[in-house]
Amino acid sequence: MDAAHKIYRLFAWVLSLTIFWLIFPFVSPVMLMIIIAFILTSIFLPIVDKIERSIGNRSISVFFVMLTSFISFFWFLGSFLSNFGYQIKIFSEKLKDEIFVKSLTTLWDKVQFVIPNPILNLIPESSKIVLTLQGKLDTIFQNILSVLSTTGNILLILVMSLIFTIIILVEYYSFKRSLVQFIPNKYFELGLRLIYNIEQQVSKFLMGQLLAASTVAIMSIAGLFILNKMGANLTLIIFIGIIAGFANLIPMIGPFVGMVPAILISIMNNMDNPLAMSHYLFGTIPSPFFILDIILMFFLIQQIDNNFVTPIVVGESTGLHPMLVMISLLIGGFLLGPIGMLFAVPAAGIFKVIINELIFISKNSHLL
Amino acid sequence: MKPMWENYFIKKNDEDPVIQSLESIPVFDNLTSKEFREISRLVHKRNYKKGEIIFKKDSPGEGMYIVLSGSVKIKDPDSETNFASLTKNNFFGEMALLDKETRSAQAEANDPTNLIGFFRTDLMSIISRFPQMGNKILLNLAKVLAERLRQANELLKNK
Repeated sequence: MDAAHKIYRLFAWVLSLTIFWLIFPFVSPVMLMIIIAFILTSIFLPIVDKIERSIGNRSISVFFVMLTSFISFFWFLGSFLSNFGYQIKIFSEKLKDEIFVKSLTTLWDKVQFVIPNPILNLIPESSKIVLTLQGKLDTIFQNILSVLSTTGNILLILVMSLIFTIIILVEYYSFKRSLVQFIPNKYFELGLRLIYNIEQQVSKFLMGQLLAASTVAIMSIAGLFILNKMGANLTLIIFIGIIAGFANLIPMIGPFVGMVPAILISIMNNMDNPLAMSHYLFGTIPSPFFILDIILMFFLIQQIDNNFVTPIVVGESTGLHPMLVMISLLIGGFLLGPIGMLFAVPAAGIFKVIINELIFISKNSHLL
Repeated sequence: MKPMWENYFIKKNDEDPVIQSLESIPVFDNLTSKEFREISRLVHKRNYKKGEIIFKKDSPGEGMYIVLSGSVKIKDPDSETNFASLTKNNFFGEMALLDKETRSAQAEANDPTNLIGFFRTDLMSIISRFPQMGNKILLNLAKVLAERLRQANELLKNK
């Protein structure tokens, strides 16, 4: 390659990158939709293939899988929202109740004796807490409304991603064939292998993660059920369990996402419950509202998941060093927020496959 | 990408040169016309210029090729020995469908050539989606390889 050709190629690269940089803000939502569609395709593809094998028609198989998933998702969302709304309503009624405020003040006086002084100084008085909560309640509802208005945008992304997923699932193999047609003859077999390896990597990882998430969800539901038997008075345990399971898909941060709603609901439900207010973990450590019990339960589930479940079901599917997992999480978080964190590890896994193939090419370039 | 409705309008197999070529290959013996249509949607049509290398010796093999038009030379690049010259409806590289071994010879286009590529990933997807068809292809492959083994034995015996 002569110098002029090299300069021309460099110029073409710089120009392409500049154009990409300029149009990225406009195309990023579409790119996000396509990425979500590809991830959903990877999840649904084995099931669609399996049903197609039995009924012999791909379109009906895709329709059946998507309809079942759609109904399940909206059933879950609908029942969660109605139950959560009911929970908030009861809590706001409790806060406005004079008897409740009085009983809380009495309880507060009792609890003060068990909490060490340095911590006690950090907590505002009960009357102040109630007043603050009463005052903030309206703001909280306003915030929820503003969140709901932004969900319109998320809903559009989700609906479009679902449409893309249906199209890709129906035409998956033709689509793949059309895509590989553009690979030059020299790299054709290599390209096929690369695509196959990426497919396998993503599919294995996602299926493993889904299995791990389901296991965490079941363990969380069981744990919360046991806490209820001990008098924790928790509601929405199935929903908390499912949220904890799915939040687990985000490494390192996910487990806390499951823990927080459980603690909040315990506080909401037990504000007028003297037994829960003065609860002790193992009969020795003060754990008002079962907070420490909940933290300990989620910590145990996390340990079981990290040491037994994930190594078995996910295994070495990505085989990434923990440091690399953390770096990819940070990059994903900076670029796309929580969604970026969710996709960071599979994306890093794909990157690893590509790099491995590039190393193979550089070592065996004489064979191309 | 083919339109979704194409699945519902059956085309005659005998009009499609790819299906005609596939029908003549022992690897696809005993397949129904519906199965041939499915395979024709999976295989890859590739065009090669005269002298272009299809695959090199010792490169990792991914699958087999069927000559649709033109001709292909199979040779050992080290000793410059020509093993075979393949023309329309001949096939090569079928062993790569079964194992991940490297190619034992080099394939090169003698003329401007059109090939049909059928690769291990395509076979895997057939086995997973249409197991009955996958079984037929695997049995046919076994027959082809057994025939090759028999021929090799005969050659050794005659030497």
